[in-house]
Amino acid sequence: MDIFGDLLMGLSIAITPINMLYLLVGAMVGMIVGVIPGFGPSAGLAILLPVTFGMDPTGAIMMLAAIYYGAMYGGTITSILLNTPGESATVASTFDGYPLAKKGRAGPALVMQAVASFVGGTVGVILITILAPMFSQVSRSFGPPEYFLLAMMGMLTLIVMIGSQWKLGLISALIGFALGTVGVDLETGQGRYTFGSAELIGGIYFIPIAIGLFGLGELFYSFYTGMHRLGSGGIVQYDKEERFWPSAEDWLTTRWTMVRGSILGFVVGVIPGAGATIASLMAYSTERSLSKTPEKFGTGEMAGLVAPETANNAASSGAMIPLLTLGIPGSASTAVLLAAFMLWGLRPGPLFMEQNPELAWGLIASMYLGNMILLVISIFAIPLFVQIIKVPYRVLGPIVVVICTLGTFSVHASFIETYLMFAAGIVGFFMRLYGFSPAALVLALVLGPLAEEALRQTLTISRGSAMIFIERPASLWIIGVTIALLVFLPLLSRIGKSASKAEKSGS
Amino acid sequence: MRIAFLLALLAGGVYYAYVAFVDLDFLTRRGRLGPGFFPRIVGVSIVVLTIWSLVDALKVARNRTDDPGSWRDVALLMGLAITFAVSLRLFGGFVATVIYLALALSLLNPGKHVQNALLCVIVPIAIYLLFDRLLNASMPSALFNILPI
Repeated sequence: MDIFGDLLMGLSIAITPINMLYLLVGAMVGMIVGVIPGFGPSAGLAILLPVTFGMDPTGAIMMLAAIYYGAMYGGTITSILLNTPGESATVASTFDGYPLAKKGRAGPALVMQAVASFVGGTVGVILITILAPMFSQVSRSFGPPEYFLLAMMGMLTLIVMIGSQWKLGLISALIGFALGTVGVDLETGQGRYTFGSAELIGGIYFIPIAIGLFGLGELFYSFYTGMHRLGSGGIVQYDKEERFWPSAEDWLTTRWTMVRGSILGFVVGVIPGAGATIASLMAYSTERSLSKTPEKFGTGEMAGLVAPETANNAASSGAMIPLLTLGIPGSASTAVLLAAFMLWGLRPGPLFMEQNPELAWGLIASMYLGNMILLVISIFAIPLFVQIIKVPYRVLGPIVVVICTLGTFSVHASFIETYLMFAAGIVGFFMRLYGFSPAALVLALVLGPLAEEALRQTLTISRGSAMIFIERPASLWIIGVTIALLVFLPLLSRIGKSASKAEKSGS
Repeated sequence: MRIAFLLALLAGGVYYAYVAFVDLDFLTRRGRLGPGFFPRIVGVSIVVLTIWSLVDALKVARNRTDDPGSWRDVALLMGLAITFAVSLRLFGGFVATVIYLALALSLLNPGKHVQNALLCVIVPIAIYLLFDRLLNASMPSALFNILPI
């Protein structure tokens, strides 16, 4: 079947009333998660994953994916109205978003960010539609050596992006690997680190750790930074402005910005470890360097808002490519999504689209619909999100603790897992406080067992020789790409950071 | 605190590596890589990197004054969360949630009695309906049943 036929088949699955309802709920929840500062898509996904257990797999995956990309839309609302990014990928949107609001153009800024997000997200999904089958085709020749190298590539690129704190990032990843070794060794049947506990025979479950690190850990950290003491007094009153809709000039001056931001964002998103934050900062920096009036950036230039918005949404779509076609998540959020797939016995990878066409194409088709829903929601439900921003953190905090706790318990009705979630929350807080990377830990927890199995299979095939990694052309290619990324990614990161620094210094 | 955290990690890493070397075989009887192969690499790496980070932390510790932050509120929230975990076992999901929210909101959101009282009732009911009725998921049952739910 051709791509168009597959997409139509996916559309017929996605458009059923129940799946549309799930999509709508996912989009709405994603936006709410994005609006709440301190909670990113990984936290939202981890906390809400248990809620999807009663659903059918297709609807659940569609809803979780909608939460994931919906958070990108929501995060910008606070960037524009409060000068506080809802999550790290929308930091660049504060540079010109908030000055636009201060100039009395909050309405046009909110509409343009929604349109830019829609364009970025939709271009990203179009590129997924075209490229995902091609990636699957290429990766079909991969064996255990390639899978081990891909897992290592995902981990190493994430650690390199951490920058000067790479040692702490590496320790975080190693803790994740260590947790991943708990349980019965599948090859020999020997227990590892189970200490006689029946609950640990199956290994440490991913969900309590993810909910603890991203949900409770982030919440404790937000309390530490004093977010619960902040009021909502700084919100720009967009509803009192004369003009809500953007002008013709806004559309005309940013049309190519949207194209550039979408393509750049998607490419950066496909690279494991790079992610939406780097994509948005790079898009901002690129747009400023291409502008005829770079001095206006940072003072309320519409292109300065549109560029990072298209890029971060396109990047979140791009990150789905390695997830769906290789089974390798490039970020904490996609690691949680991978865990969701695994919960339903699905294993993303080269054969995923061939073996589960309904689910794979249903998910891709749902992303087109989800972006349309999000466009409408993010323009017409702004008053609702403003009300949510006004809910103080000191009220939100205890409620989040309840949802995290009961959500964790509901998975296996296990008190041990609930206590494990609390422990992960406390450790996650200290990790966040001292510069460790909870994202690297979670990614390693997911990738660790896969990497170990692949490495042991590889060395069994090669009778213990590591030369297998350079004797196979596909492995050699992956090693080459990994080395290129390890050299190239710090440069990308530096470009992004210099854009951020220049903005802060007002140049 | 940073150094204490690193020391705790080091202790965990040393224990993990010790078990990997003492209890887990490096090779299987057939000569293949055994269950101890990966943990030994991971354990040794954790120990080496943590010691390295610890040395770095000790070097900068002399010049650094940690930002005090809101330790009191974090400790309070953590304490309340742990109390909630314990009370779940005793009173079950619904009642423990009511008690926890009443306690947490009275401490964190003082003076707003009506708002807090409403939240203490509405949130547990909403969560109970969502998890127990709509999603048919398990809610913690109580050792001491106060309510028949």
